[in-house]
Amino acid sequence: MTALSIALVVPWAAGTVLVLLDGRRRLVGWLAVAALGVALVALVVLATSVASDESLVITTGGWPVGVGITLRADPLGLLFAILSLVVLIAAMLHEVLDGVRERAFPGLVTLLAAGLSGVFLTGDLFNFYVFFELALAASYVLATYGGTRRALSAALVFAAVNLLGTFVFLLSVASVYHVTGTLNMAGIAVRMANVDPNAALLIAVGFFVAFSVKLGLFPFHFWLPTVYTGARPAVAAILSGGLANIGAYGLLRFGGELLARELELAAGALIIIGSASILYGGILAISRRSSSEVIAYSAIGQVGYVLVAIGIGGTVGFGAAILYTVINALNKTVLFLTVRMRGVVIGLVFAFAGFSVAGVPPAAGFIGKLELFRAAAGSPALLLLLFVGSALSFVYVFQIYQYDFWREGRIGRPAGAAQQILIGSMCLLILAAGIWPEPLLALSHAAAQVLAGADR
Amino acid sequence: MTIVFAFAAAALFGIGAYLVLSRELVRVVFGVVVISQSAVLTLIASALTHGPAPIAPLGEGPVSDPLSQAMALTAIVIGMAVIALLLALIIRVVHAYRSNEIDEIAEAETERDARLERQSGAEHEREEAAAR
Repeated sequence: MTALSIALVVPWAAGTVLVLLDGRRRLVGWLAVAALGVALVALVVLATSVASDESLVITTGGWPVGVGITLRADPLGLLFAILSLVVLIAAMLHEVLDGVRERAFPGLVTLLAAGLSGVFLTGDLFNFYVFFELALAASYVLATYGGTRRALSAALVFAAVNLLGTFVFLLSVASVYHVTGTLNMAGIAVRMANVDPNAALLIAVGFFVAFSVKLGLFPFHFWLPTVYTGARPAVAAILSGGLANIGAYGLLRFGGELLARELELAAGALIIIGSASILYGGILAISRRSSSEVIAYSAIGQVGYVLVAIGIGGTVGFGAAILYTVINALNKTVLFLTVRMRGVVIGLVFAFAGFSVAGVPPAAGFIGKLELFRAAAGSPALLLLLFVGSALSFVYVFQIYQYDFWREGRIGRPAGAAQQILIGSMCLLILAAGIWPEPLLALSHAAAQVLAGADR
Repeated sequence: MTIVFAFAAAALFGIGAYLVLSRELVRVVFGVVVISQSAVLTLIASALTHGPAPIAPLGEGPVSDPLSQAMALTAIVIGMAVIALLLALIIRVVHAYRSNEIDEIAEAETERDARLERQSGAEHEREEAAAR
């Protein structure tokens, strides 16, 4: 109970204060890292207590159940919250070591952490929207970080597209309230079964569009390459490793729990959209020559795998989707953080993260692909697609590796010792998850068990 | 009653979508504002099923669920804050590009991309020549 409050209140309060201070000073940066660290510890403590018994549900403000806003800590939400915080801390440390350039940066990242944790730990639909907007508002400003013309126009595109996405989300929230009369997610999941299928399908489409925009899936991806290449590496890492998790989480939570029947109905369409995303991202990534562009298009391809796994469904499919989201977020963070740096260690880390994207052992990406293959075992066409997707990612990653590190095409400065240690340890995390995957596998299966739709 | 609200929300969304697709940045923001109002209207309408809106003094008979009014208020406040942010962003973009037109900004970006493309192409050709 206290751990849950700490995880939400500390980053929120710290962020509000830190936004007012001059973030270019080192002390402020380290304070923000400390606040995120406290929240991470609280989440891990919460995770150990939740793992031992049932998921924790709290009604805020001492209101009776059904009236107050509920917070809920279950394995799925906690896994995503911990993942996002790890990514944010890594990106923040990276930027603090590099020297923060704008005063609001540390405070905004801390507020973003508060918004993300809130989204993953709330059990109330409207509260989800509020935290969603908090996280997004922080990231709109973060996208301008650096203040170059490019970053500004990218941030404008990002903000406009994602604002439209959130209003579509709000429309769906209103419709859910209209047809079920409750905002409690557990209650919605129960009452949705009696709702007119046509209305439910319309609502589901609204949620799907809203989350696909966040994820950058194929038909909704057009903002993504501009933003990820226009932003500074740390911000690109935060957006692709932290913020995009909302999309995957939303698809899993809303599709797997609230609208399980509609997900089953749309499974074929999801698999087709996911496949299109995989092929489109892979092929365009091959055609690019700068590493940030390649990674941006690769991000479009990689989320396609998540959507395909969600489309396959069941415990195995959802488990694979969760596992792949975790591994993909770590890969993308490492790759984006190394984009503007040179050096032997950086080269090694880039190559290793590249192995992980392509799914070569002993990197964690191999485990992710293995789970995907297991989920898709019934269908030869899907297996072929996964294989082609992996081959494409192998080609683009090593094409850009060759271009950047062998021909010295990379622009940037040699990394400092502390940054090398930071990026090296993120890389070791990917290696550890690949060599000893049991804890992560167990976690993602426990998270998939939470979703009611996993029973089919 | 619901159908009136549905048509009003749909009309607002349509007008907003039309504005979002226009070429001036400020109009795009207005479009986003109108679309946000469409969402707020839907939110208010979503609970107006059991009677008139619960505004004091209450009349005879049942009134509707007041919760959606509270949600609409929250949504309006959030929407206002985010729109203010978007307008601030537009001021910076207009200063940086000295233009309020999307086409001109896109043109500036395309020119930049084309320049980079030419550079990397020239480099590639030099490398090819050196290899031969």
